[in-house]
This record gives sequence, structure tokens and C-alpha cells, in this order.
Amino acid sequence: MTTTGKIFEGRLSDLIDDRPQDGVFRVSRAIFDDPEVFELERRRIFEGGWVFLGIADQAPAAHDFFTTDIGRVPILVSRGADGALRGFVNSCPHRGSRVAQTLAGNARLHVCPYHSWTFDSAGRNKAIKLKRAGCYAESFDLDSHDLAALPAFGEYRGFVFGSLSAEVPTLETCLGEATKLLDLVADQSEQGFELVPGGVTFTYQANWKLQLENCSDAYHFTSTHPSYIRILEQRQKESSGATVRSVWEDSDYWREDAEGIAGGSFSFPYGHVLNWGIFGVTEALPLYESADALAERHGAARRDWMFNMRNLTIFPNLQIAENASSQLRVIRPLAPDLTEMRTWCIAPKGESAEARQQRLRQYEDFFNPSGMATPDDTVTYENCQRGFASRVAPWLQGYARGSTASREGGNAFSDLLQMQPEHNVLADAQLGDETLLQSYYREWARRMTGVLEP
Amino acid sequence: MSFDHRAVETLLYAEARYLDEGCWDEWLDLYVENAVFWIPAWKSETEVTSDPAKELSLVYYQGRKNLEDRVWRARSGMSVASAPLPRVAHQITNISIMAADADEALVASNFSVHLYDKRSSRTHMFFGRYSHTLLREDGRIRIAQKKIILLNDTIPTVLDFYCI
Repeated sequence: MTTTGKIFEGRLSDLIDDRPQDGVFRVSRAIFDDPEVFELERRRIFEGGWVFLGIADQAPAAHDFFTTDIGRVPILVSRGADGALRGFVNSCPHRGSRVAQTLAGNARLHVCPYHSWTFDSAGRNKAIKLKRAGCYAESFDLDSHDLAALPAFGEYRGFVFGSLSAEVPTLETCLGEATKLLDLVADQSEQGFELVPGGVTFTYQANWKLQLENCSDAYHFTSTHPSYIRILEQRQKESSGATVRSVWEDSDYWREDAEGIAGGSFSFPYGHVLNWGIFGVTEALPLYESADALAERHGAARRDWMFNMRNLTIFPNLQIAENASSQLRVIRPLAPDLTEMRTWCIAPKGESAEARQQRLRQYEDFFNPSGMATPDDTVTYENCQRGFASRVAPWLQGYARGSTASREGGNAFSDLLQMQPEHNVLADAQLGDETLLQSYYREWARRMTGVLEP
Repeated sequence: MSFDHRAVETLLYAEARYLDEGCWDEWLDLYVENAVFWIPAWKSETEVTSDPAKELSLVYYQGRKNLEDRVWRARSGMSVASAPLPRVAHQITNISIMAADADEALVASNFSVHLYDKRSSRTHMFFGRYSHTLLREDGRIRIAQKKIILLNDTIPTVLDFYCI
């Protein structure tokens, strides 16, 4: 490799250096800022496999719909008269205009604003304006005039996924054992879960994979968020009625002087990972009011898991972070150095007014781009992105912590959920495992197979 | 009407200037102790959240203490998002006293805040509407509630109290 040449020559091994036999796992800076890599990611990862679309509760009744995107492609998710949820490309087969214009709504019929082609809530074409007068050749009706259904579409317990490619494993196979972590979200209330009204969208000028990594990064908390931690400590001392209590004050799993097993990580096939920590069943969590009922319904072990700090990634674009509060995030790459985040407070339905308020106030302080923690993350992503421009010493060293602690399969904690991860790390508060990030890049590499030389 | 338009205008301009110039102690002093500082989130293209107890806000604080925490954080040197600070310039226009009695007034205005972040060479403008609830206390007008409707709510990386 010369100093003047481009580092990325199209070979996978130039981007990811994965040599388990030598204890080496490195990722090149080029994977975060090379435009060709980004284009491949869009096609192979976002537009070529399962991505998260939304939750079923965003369209609860017949004819309800919401819109989103898969990569660059606009998507319509609509519940038909028959109650079934379906996913479509939100683009008229006539000239391509987006058919549904709003983020969400209820419509028996979607009328294209360009030439009034009309579709029902199951995507069927109901009208082509002035068709008989249109002098169409017979061949015209050999084509379907319906909205194009997503080649793959599925739902797991209210989490809705779609794919622009039919060449995907079943959703069940893709989610695999990680479904047991989605169960922990879905089972917090018998009534299910919801997105609290009010969504927050922000962008940052850095690569989408920085968000992927940061959610799973136990190592950064005390370094990146000291101002937030100090404010919580101050609040605990003063216990002023004006401020909200946070679970971070109540837990020592992240403290650098804590001892014993504090949490760890699990990783799964297809790039899904969990970073977790023991919070304990504490009244600082809004779920506390349901602690007894949840133990009765699900057993103490699963109940305790619901109270653990859990940062879950369903590769490539869904993250559910349950720590100070509970956030559902959707990652959308816009450019190698520009990412859009759509975020909501995800919450069990039917919780008390007090619990909901506690959840919301903690959420705003911690998760919002107008809060006291996320901005320190996203500004850091931008600092990383600047550094990624370098091809001097291109290999990043951030995937090595935990190498000798990583074990195949599960452990006593995953056994409590009858869950079989591919790898696990049991960690004290100091370990800051990074091997779980390797799962992202192994899946990334798998998805690039066939387009990049080994 | 017991609130003089000029006095109200002077207060709003003072707030804008304190934020522009980083005079955050003076800024905090404009707020009563149990002041509400509220930036609703949007729940659709056209509607902001209206009940902070049941719906998400970008910021919802009851009590000046929370604003003091934000000021502390911005000054702490422990927040990479807050150092170096961006440069900001607030514009306040269309000031109208919507309702007033002897001790309390509701004031509507429009704002735009130009922001320049030297670190990223990024400029941005946040704009929207303010709604101030003002109280007269010992002959002095102070802010009991400030509600900020942020119209361009796709936030480029950071939104802090001084940006808006």
C-alpha cells in the first residue's frame, strides 16, 4: 500500500481485518467515509435486506397508514380493510410520484396527486382516470397497476420489517434468538407497547455506523458524559422537587470502581447485538410500579431482565435503548458523512400518569438532541468522522476490548431467557466490551460477499 | 392594560442579548424560581405536542433549577458539545401582548436564531414562535413560563438553551 494510493481498492480485507486465530479484529477508517463503500452499503444492506419500518401500533385500525423509507426508497405501510398490515413502495406505478404524502393517517383510498390513479388500503388499483378514453393497447393490462408490494414484509410482536429484496432469510430466521429481547419490550404490559406522541428527528454529520457502535459501547459512558453524570450526582444530593430522579444515580454498574459482574454483551447472527447492565429492580425506573405483577406473569428472572439496562440493535437500523428511559431509534444513512435519526419514546401501554411523566422527563434529559447526553455523543461522532479522513495508520483499534473474555454461546444470564446467543461476554464495570461490535462488521462483510473481493 | 409594550419589548430583547453574549447568570435571573421552560415536540407535520405529562417534548422543565443545571453543563468543560460554544444571534419580532392584567401578561413573538459553529464551519437558523408568560414581582417583570414552538425541528446535531 503506497502513501499516495487510495486505501480502498475494493477488497473486503482492506476494510475489515478479521483474523480470529491471531486475536486480531480491525476496521479501516475507509469503511466510514469512502463514497463507494457507502453506495454499496445502501444497495446491499439497506436496500438489499430486512430493515425495520415501524411498529404495528402506528397503524392500529383498518385503513391506518404510516410512511417511512428503506434506504432511498419511500415506503407506505397500510392496514387493509381485512385488518392485515402490508408494505408497499410509496410510488405510483404510472409516473412514480409518491402516493401517500403524510407521515401517518387514515385513508380507504390513496389518490395519486399527479394523475389521480387510485389505490385502496391493500394497495390494489381501484381507478385509472379516464381509462376507457385512454386508447391503451391490450398489453397495458398485462401489467399489474397495483402499488408494488414489498418483496418481503413481516412483523414480530408489533415490530414491523420489510425488504426491497426477496432474497432474504425469513424474518424469523433473521431475528433469531434476538426475538427474546424484543419480547422483553413487548411483555412489559399486557396491553402491549406504544410510541408516545411526539417524535424527534435529528441529523449528525458523520457515518451511520457510529450510531450503530455507540449504542453498544459501554466504554464511553464515563468519558463522554461526565457533565450529565455530575448533574445527576448533584441532583441526588440536593433532591430538589424540581428535578427528576434518574436510574443512573441508583445504579453502579457503570461506575469505574464497582466490583463484580455488572453486565456484558450478547451477539447474534445477522448482526444483532445487546449491551446490558444490571440495574436491579429499582423505583428509579418507571416500570417499578409493575415489578410484582411482572414477576407474577413472567417469573422473577424475566422481570429482572426487564429492569436491566439494555441497549439492543437489530441490524442495520433499529435500536431500542432501555436505560435512563426508553428510546426507539431508526437510523437512516443519507451520505457517508450524514445520518438522520428518527427517535421516539417507546413505552408500555397503560402505565400510570406518574410513571409516564418520569419516563418522559428522563427521556428528554438523556436522549434528546436538546438534552444533556446525546449531543455529547453526536458531536463526538463528528469528531470521529473528521479523523476518518486519515489513511495514515488506517486501522482503528476500537474493536479489541473483551477479546479474551468473549465466549461462544450463552451464559447463566441468557439461560434465564432461554436465549442462545452466538457469543457472550460477562463484564465487570471496567471491561467495556468491544467484541460485540465485531458482529456488526461480520454481518456487514457477509452482506458484501459477491460484490467485494475477499 | 397594565403591561407597557415598551417594557415587555425591553425584557425580550434583554433575554435575547443575554443568550447571544453568554450572560447566562443574567439570563437565569429573568426567570422566576418555579418557571416553566418548554419546547414541545411535533406529533405530525402540523401539530405540536400539547400535554407534557402525556406527550414528548424537546425540553420540558418545571423549575429554574433545571436551567441552572443546563448553564452549569455548558460551562463545565465536561461537555464536548458545549466547548467550543457556537456563536448565536437572536432576532425577536412581531411582539404582541395577547392578554394582560395587573400582574401577569401573555406575550407572543417570533424568533430566529442564527448559529455559527466554528468547529464544523456550519451555519444554521432555528426559527419559530415564543410565548412568554410574564409576572410583575416587586415592580420587576420576570418570566414565569416560556414556550418555544420550533418550526424547523429536524435538529442538526445539537439544540441547547442558547440556540433557541
